[in-house]
Amino acid sequence: MRPAGYVRRRLLLAPVQVAAVASAVFLLAEVLPGDAAVVLAGDDPDPERIARIRESLGLDRPLLTRFAAWAGGLPRGDFGESLVSGRPVLGLVLDALGPTAVLASATLAVLVPLSVWAGVAAALREGGRFDRALTAVGVALYAVPEFALAVVLIVVFGGLLPVTALGGLTPAALVLPVAVLAARPLCSLSRLVRAGMIGALASGYAAQAVRLGVPERRVRYVHVLPNAVTPAVQQLARTVDWLLGGVVIAEAVFVIPGLGTLLVDAVADRDLPVLQGLAVLFAATTVLVNLAADLVAFRLAPRA
Amino acid sequence: MSHPLDHPLSRRGLLGLGLAAGAALLTGCGTSSPSSASSGGRLRAAFAGGGATETLDPHLANLFNEAARAKAMFDKLADLGSDVSPQPRLAERWEPSSDLRTWRIHLREAVFHDGRAVRAADVLASYARILDPAKTFRARSSLALIDLPNSRAVDERTVEFALKRPFAEFPNVLAAFGTYVIPEGHTDFAEPVGSGPFSFTSWKPGRSVLLRRNAEYWDGAPFIDELEFLIANEETARMNALLGGQVEYAHDLSPVTARQYASRATFVKSPNSAMQAFAMKVDRPPFDDRDLREAMFLLTDRQGLVDTVLPGAGQVGNDLFGRGYEHYAAEIPQRGHDLDRARALIRKAGAEGLAVELTTAPVAAGFVEAATVFAGQLRAAGLKAEIRTGDKDTYWSDILTKGTLASFRSGAMPIETHIAQRLLTSSTTNATGWRRPEFDALYEKAVSAPRAADREGAYLEMQRTLHAEGGLLVWGFADWIVATSPRVQGVSAAPANTMDWARFDKVKLA
Amino acid sequence: MRRALYAVPLLVALCGPWLASSGDVLHGVSYDPETGWLGTDFAGRDVWQQVLLGGRELVAVMVLATAGAYLIGVLWGLTAATARRRLADELLMRPLDLLPAVPSLFLLLLLATLFPGGGLVWIVMLVHLPDIARLVRAAALEAAHGPVVEALRLQGESWWRTTVRYVGGSVARTLAADAGTRLTGTLYLAAAASFLGVGVSPDAADWAVMIERNRAGLLLNPWAVLAPALMIIMLSVGLNLAFDRALRRP
Repeated sequence: MRPAGYVRRRLLLAPVQVAAVASAVFLLAEVLPGDAAVVLAGDDPDPERIARIRESLGLDRPLLTRFAAWAGGLPRGDFGESLVSGRPVLGLVLDALGPTAVLASATLAVLVPLSVWAGVAAALREGGRFDRALTAVGVALYAVPEFALAVVLIVVFGGLLPVTALGGLTPAALVLPVAVLAARPLCSLSRLVRAGMIGALASGYAAQAVRLGVPERRVRYVHVLPNAVTPAVQQLARTVDWLLGGVVIAEAVFVIPGLGTLLVDAVADRDLPVLQGLAVLFAATTVLVNLAADLVAFRLAPRA
Repeated sequence: MSHPLDHPLSRRGLLGLGLAAGAALLTGCGTSSPSSASSGGRLRAAFAGGGATETLDPHLANLFNEAARAKAMFDKLADLGSDVSPQPRLAERWEPSSDLRTWRIHLREAVFHDGRAVRAADVLASYARILDPAKTFRARSSLALIDLPNSRAVDERTVEFALKRPFAEFPNVLAAFGTYVIPEGHTDFAEPVGSGPFSFTSWKPGRSVLLRRNAEYWDGAPFIDELEFLIANEETARMNALLGGQVEYAHDLSPVTARQYASRATFVKSPNSAMQAFAMKVDRPPFDDRDLREAMFLLTDRQGLVDTVLPGAGQVGNDLFGRGYEHYAAEIPQRGHDLDRARALIRKAGAEGLAVELTTAPVAAGFVEAATVFAGQLRAAGLKAEIRTGDKDTYWSDILTKGTLASFRSGAMPIETHIAQRLLTSSTTNATGWRRPEFDALYEKAVSAPRAADREGAYLEMQRTLHAEGGLLVWGFADWIVATSPRVQGVSAAPANTMDWARFDKVKLA
Repeated sequence: MRRALYAVPLLVALCGPWLASSGDVLHGVSYDPETGWLGTDFAGRDVWQQVLLGGRELVAVMVLATAGAYLIGVLWGLTAATARRRLADELLMRPLDLLPAVPSLFLLLLLATLFPGGGLVWIVMLVHLPDIARLVRAAALEAAHGPVVEALRLQGESWWRTTVRYVGGSVARTLAADAGTRLTGTLYLAAAASFLGVGVSPDAADWAVMIERNRAGLLLNPWAVLAPALMIIMLSVGLNLAFDRALRRP
């Protein structure tokens, strides 16, 4: 198989996938109890007023008409307008993407080198003190729910570091959220690297290469490591996708106005155009990230 | 994340019901001497807000942060004082005709941020915008009794309102939520222009609004130079931001937070703020039975509820709205906890072992807690109580028509407004299904009788009826709690929705 | 000692509801550390009683959802990896791209708003399924297309022996490394759901809900948060370590 053909096929398929996800989300959101008009009326739910709001939002039109109107705008890059604020969805989503992207990049910059290093170091001394310590710490960190970890970090470091991003996403304000976000994937990634490394080291070809006189370091890092990290690449793709898909809890605790915050607001507001805009964005990122992961995996361990 | 108060992601701090009214003890503004010098500095205030979907249109304000920003940039003709009675603001004074159908409003001398004077025409234009039948402004129902085509500007600073019927409480309308005065023709709120103590500088939707001191403010220029509103939907995040020095003011905190950090920040508590209640539907079984309703009143251990849900930040209620407000019937004795009599009444109603479904949702601070505790009290009286958790986003609309017993609360509003919106046959948000022609007639008397003594008598009689057999089981009043850094001085203990709540023009930074 | 790590929370979860005093729950002052064994929670209830009651459902969700996701995911991934036609592989794997294209919390928010109070098992299963299938496929590719499988096939060995026994055996190590974390991943989703206030009743006796609801009073009665948190942490650490040990044994 040639990667170029594969990429072309996957990219052609992508719009179909995105459309399928967007339609599914539209239908799901459509059957949620209540609509934006009820939510907007809030604690003043005068039925007559709700009816007027519904009318002014165009929510009294049939379902298909609304979906068609929304889908019709897509080719022009028009994602519609938020029902609640009236602002263009594209602007809302792009505004929220900024902080999420900053947070994701910072997390990956810490996560990837650290997990590969830890996984390899543990595998090389399998069963050793470092291996056992890494396992224990990793497992414990993985077991702590995200918000519990956040609460603890805030109590401990609250005096030293900003505990919210209210003053902007400065490097100092990123420290705690990145620590919270990296904790869980760090554990799963380093364990996958470790398991893959142990498996690959034990396989025949590593020993064979050493016997043939290839320097041990070269065997480890040029031949074994690429094979060992293949399963981890898929997991990393999921992590990237997760980071870009709105890390709802971390954003809420640390007050980061990113995609996760927008998502929670949009569900609570029944703001369908915003939900659909997010669905399209999330679907597109997932397709691209997975494509990238497949390509990387293909390079590392070509299919026989 | 929600119900701004207790649930972390919830951000809908809805005002009307949601807010609290005010502290009977504290003095309002108006008395403060105009400040010539500013103390300077920027005050940053954290509110729960509407996220990226919020608006700066003061007539659309619905959430705490929107209302707080609206009052910083705009004025109403009147606002609610410490006893939730209307106090003059942009209106210097008002006088009714003898038949209470025509009201003359005299405006004070004030200017908008763009230098134009506030004129009678601006008032009429603002009210016309709110009353536009094609729009959906919240304040529309409050202004509905104004006969706008027959109202007029007498001169530049005098408005004469014609009403559709006689109404003694018209100043309540001038102070109603969301009735801000905007400059005629200026309806672009990307850069709002108002007459309030602060003028607009910049806005990042979903993040922050920055305002600057209006040195020309008619009620005295603010002390601080700049005011920044920041959004933090989670209560703990607001408190953490305050402790971490990222803000100087954190709005809307829980009693637990106040207990927990009492030594590390200044907490300002306003008593008699948010009414805490359970709403029984009197128009359907089982609570159409008067004896059963009385049994419910008696089986409630109000002190127990306050101790658990509002420790150190609330008082028991007497099944009446508006404790400490104008017209409140303080002479009706406090109802106590009488389990024996409650059991006897339950027997009399033939309701022993009755299954009661209690609807609640994490939409407001303490709802789930109070429902959990109350379910235990119902069981202790021999009823079968089941808690049903509703959808938090559509809760208020759902409980209007569905179920028989639901968590309920209300913020500050005049007692007259509470009755008009919730307890008349024509009320649009009548959550207890209380519809009685004789009660409607009493209300009519209370708002339109020519003699003040007759009106007062009608208020008392209405409250006696509600206390004896109404559908609202008011078990307590929660304090409204905000916290400030030690640098901040001059924050009044005022419940939300009243004049001194979220008021920053009298605040100083040390 | 190691076993106690997961045995204690499991025992509490399974037997707790029988040990808890039945009858009316008493309500005292909230977050009072002096009342009862572990103080009181946000609604003034006894924390120890809530801990006894709070594990069963969480453990049930964790076990059912994880087992279900593995059962389907492993077969799915193995079938794809051993498919001799690329098309079959593609047909199996592409639809799985759709599901993760919607972030798990998005799915959780939508479905839980739709089915309040239920369906957490199904949501968690759906979220994990594509992940497991992809992981299994990736890990099995090498073995599935290696000489041994060819040889087994030539000998006419059954699909069960080649695919499940041999190829499946070759991914066991990766899977075992994944299993412990997967179980805690389920706990994580359940906890996230309770944090977001979806899928679980906010007054439920449930360890995850307890952590979330009681953290407001962390400094007043730490046990209201620490006790359920300890249960969850012991459970997932214990299970993770147990899987790890099983893995090291030849």
